[in-house]
Amino acid sequence: MKIERVILFFPAVSMAVLSLLVMGHGAKAGAPAQAMTAAAPAKTQAEMASPMAGTGTVTIPDTTLAINSDKAMSERVVHYEIDAKYDAGTHTVNATEVLTYHNLTGQALDHFPFHLYQNAFQPKATFVREAKLVGSRDTAYAKWEDKDYGSEDIKHIFVLGQAGQAGDVEMTNDLKYIQPDDGNKDDRTVVDVPVPRPIAPGAYVQFKIMFQTKFPETQARSGWKRDFVLGGQWFPKVGVFWHGAWNCHQYHNTTEFFADFGVFDVKLTVPQNEVVGASGVLVSDAANSDGTKTYVYHGDDIHDFAWTASPRYKVKDDGVFPGQMGPVKLRILMQPAHWSQAARHEKILMETLERFEMWYGPYPYKMLTLVDPEPDSAAGGMEYPTFITGDSSWFMPKGVLLPEVVVEHEFGHQYWYGMVATNEFEDAWMDEGINSYTEVKVLDSIFGQDRSMLQQAGVTLGEREEQRLSYASAADTDAIAENAYDYYSSNSYAGITYGKTASVLLTLEGIIGEDTMAKAMRTYFMKYRFTHPTKEDFLKTIEEVSGKDLRWYFNPAIYGTQVLDYEVSKIDSFPTNWYEDEKGAGKKKDDKDTVYRSTVWLRRKEDFVFPVELEVKFDNGEKVREHWDGQNRWVKFQYTKKAKIESAEIDPDHKILIDRNDFNNSRTAEPNPKPTRKLSNYWLFLTQWLGQAVAWWGV
Amino acid sequence: MSEKKGLLSGGYEKVVRNKRYIFWFWLLNLTLAEFGVAAFRHQAGAILDNSLYSGGLVHGFDLGVFVEMLVRPEFGPTKASTMPAIFFATLFFAFTVLFLPGVFLGYASNYRLPRDEFFRACGRNLWRFIRLLIVAGIVMGIVTVILFFIRGALVKAAGESTNELLGFEVSMACLLVIFLVMTTLRIWFDLAEADVVLSDQKAVRKSIGAGFRHTFRHLGRLLTSYVITTIVAGIILLAGIWLWRHGVAPDRVWRAFLVSQLMLLLLLIPRFWQRGIAVAYWQREMMVHAVPPLASAPVAVPSGAVVSSPPVV
Repeated sequence: MKIERVILFFPAVSMAVLSLLVMGHGAKAGAPAQAMTAAAPAKTQAEMASPMAGTGTVTIPDTTLAINSDKAMSERVVHYEIDAKYDAGTHTVNATEVLTYHNLTGQALDHFPFHLYQNAFQPKATFVREAKLVGSRDTAYAKWEDKDYGSEDIKHIFVLGQAGQAGDVEMTNDLKYIQPDDGNKDDRTVVDVPVPRPIAPGAYVQFKIMFQTKFPETQARSGWKRDFVLGGQWFPKVGVFWHGAWNCHQYHNTTEFFADFGVFDVKLTVPQNEVVGASGVLVSDAANSDGTKTYVYHGDDIHDFAWTASPRYKVKDDGVFPGQMGPVKLRILMQPAHWSQAARHEKILMETLERFEMWYGPYPYKMLTLVDPEPDSAAGGMEYPTFITGDSSWFMPKGVLLPEVVVEHEFGHQYWYGMVATNEFEDAWMDEGINSYTEVKVLDSIFGQDRSMLQQAGVTLGEREEQRLSYASAADTDAIAENAYDYYSSNSYAGITYGKTASVLLTLEGIIGEDTMAKAMRTYFMKYRFTHPTKEDFLKTIEEVSGKDLRWYFNPAIYGTQVLDYEVSKIDSFPTNWYEDEKGAGKKKDDKDTVYRSTVWLRRKEDFVFPVELEVKFDNGEKVREHWDGQNRWVKFQYTKKAKIESAEIDPDHKILIDRNDFNNSRTAEPNPKPTRKLSNYWLFLTQWLGQAVAWWGV
Repeated sequence: MSEKKGLLSGGYEKVVRNKRYIFWFWLLNLTLAEFGVAAFRHQAGAILDNSLYSGGLVHGFDLGVFVEMLVRPEFGPTKASTMPAIFFATLFFAFTVLFLPGVFLGYASNYRLPRDEFFRACGRNLWRFIRLLIVAGIVMGIVTVILFFIRGALVKAAGESTNELLGFEVSMACLLVIFLVMTTLRIWFDLAEADVVLSDQKAVRKSIGAGFRHTFRHLGRLLTSYVITTIVAGIILLAGIWLWRHGVAPDRVWRAFLVSQLMLLLLLIPRFWQRGIAVAYWQREMMVHAVPPLASAPVAVPSGAVVSSPPVV
């Protein structure tokens, strides 16, 4: 106990001394007091909404224009003021960004790493190298084309107010590209910016960055396609100081993002014919004399800002969701050929919002923009704060629930990423996986458990089954708690991060109960919204709410690669007086008074130890339930009854979603050839039809 | 118009008069496919037959259960079940090549063709048909490659349009053109096949030439007839699938089998109808050029020629 105090005491004292020294040094150097001292009085709402807040007192605005709350909901660390002009002809953005950073780290900061995500789309970048190596969701880069190229160039960067009265220090020549993950010197997705004088704890610093971003043809849910553009990850974004160090990873093939909460004021100038959508709320728009139009957006308590423009969007913006904290306006930008699906998109959005608010907590933002992106683009299915992209096609039968699945999933990220802002580089499962779990819950609730993905022409598929299959395809390759960029392959990343996490959490419901799990999820959301929780924060919340030590499950399921596969390996029933038959052949004729000795053998085929239920059904209708702790490799259950075993089934309530093979979970005494005959009949039809088709054209 | 009706009805009468061919080809089709399905049945049965989980396939079609079956290691590689199916489908094609000369002769006859005549025609024309097949394969293969290359280029270009439907529309238009061109080629070689058999033409190139000339001499009539029969096939397929889907409960395997086989039996008719059209056309337009007219029934000449010739097999 004493040792713990000492350990805590020394860093605290050191920090305080260092801070005083730094502040003193800063004052001697003549740095503006605004830049180094605590926050000045807050500005008015209107002043804060102004994209360029002026050169007055430096602080982070406490505006609430974009949220249904009268006070800030997050600990605001950043304020981005961006004035950007998009050239639709060259797919290029030229912009000036003023970033105000509030040092809440508790220690002085002498350098700031920034993400330059669009530099990932260059042939020698880590992102492209990894995509070529392990495959990619969008393109495997079989051939490099000019249109694949993206860039994010800082033309000039200044640290404001650090060179005397209103003096700015240009640091452009001091920029240093760093590669914290793989040392690839050709990767320029992270740049480190030193500051002339360290920024004291509690102080502010301002950067002014002139940059140019050139978008590639859509890759990784960002870029242009035809006359459409999705501006995602398009501006220099500062890393997160997390657990005592900067956390600013390179952009990898399978990673997403991580950023601090704050305020965004963005002026976006585009050609006048463009229809625009963006994160946050629209403050104003005005046509310019040069044929462009400037939109001003404002976002509160968000950690990223994305936008889209296309001259062909059709807009549905009459939907309002009556949220718990206030009305949420739904703005849906549809492709013209998908216009008939606008109501379908709005409906699933409403239904999803309703369930998230009911189960997890309120959606505090005043706006949600849903974008139906350009067909054939790699822009579908993406989340940004208060801004998501769906995915559809002009031909989308009602029973094919792809738009619903995508919209639900991306909306779910408003909670698991948007508000509970986990580190997507290191804990991808905490946004994608937890979101996949809630996706199953929501879609099952709306469409039914076994048909929440597909219910067309008699063919059905449930969301939970899809997640389980995804997991089973990569069951033992990686642990869930793996860095997103360290997975064996992109298939493993998807199967484990999404599928396994969802299956693990659904299985957890069976352990602690569905209601307890729901309570734990709500507790987790409400406790950690607008923060950056770790994996242990999540797991401990579940343990606290359930009141159970669940390490026996979390260790193999979350931290390990153990695989679960239980099997009913054999069932057998034979008459106890089998030797009394007339011919002595060991076969006693059945009758109702015959007593049978029945045995069921269970096997644990893999290394995941998990207690299971067994249901044995006898041919007189009797059912018996057994419990097996699964510790040994096998077990047998024996019965002496006037009935034979009809079937035996492990996990009869289907609570275990992480069992790799569901077929061997049960065994029947007599074969049921119907499923095989049914499938064979389909196969027979196809074979005959193929023969006829070949003969039709061939001779 | 009356000529079109004549060709259609003339071809149809030949099909109706020789219904047994449809039946035998269906039986052949079914028998070969049964062999093709055996591996799949065995693989699937090993996983499904004793598991309660496979119940998801009985009262509906749970795609998750089906996919899980396919990816199970014990199901084996997919090609282990697809290759036999492809092989026996191809074998059906080969048998069709073998037996088609007999069908042509039967359609040309105004009496029920005896079995020995049927098989004699098959044997006598086998090598000719193989040569025809090679020529047809080269011609149709080249045309197919060119047409699909053009289609691909057009669809790709249309795909750059901001009109999302344009790509689909261009694709459909291209497929329609490809269908019409390929049907025209099919008419050409159907006439050549009829001519080879009914003229007892050893020089296959002459039949190919005659087929080519007549195809384009009366393309409108022939193409219309062929397109109509193809539409009939489409209707049969759609109606059959509708009946299968809505008229048969998901767990009624035998009923599904009967409906599917009825559909496949009926699907054979349009193609045989087309061959009947080719024979009818040959009798009306080509016979005088290919075979000296006789006083007796016109069809008796080629059949007589066949009968009088030494059997090949």
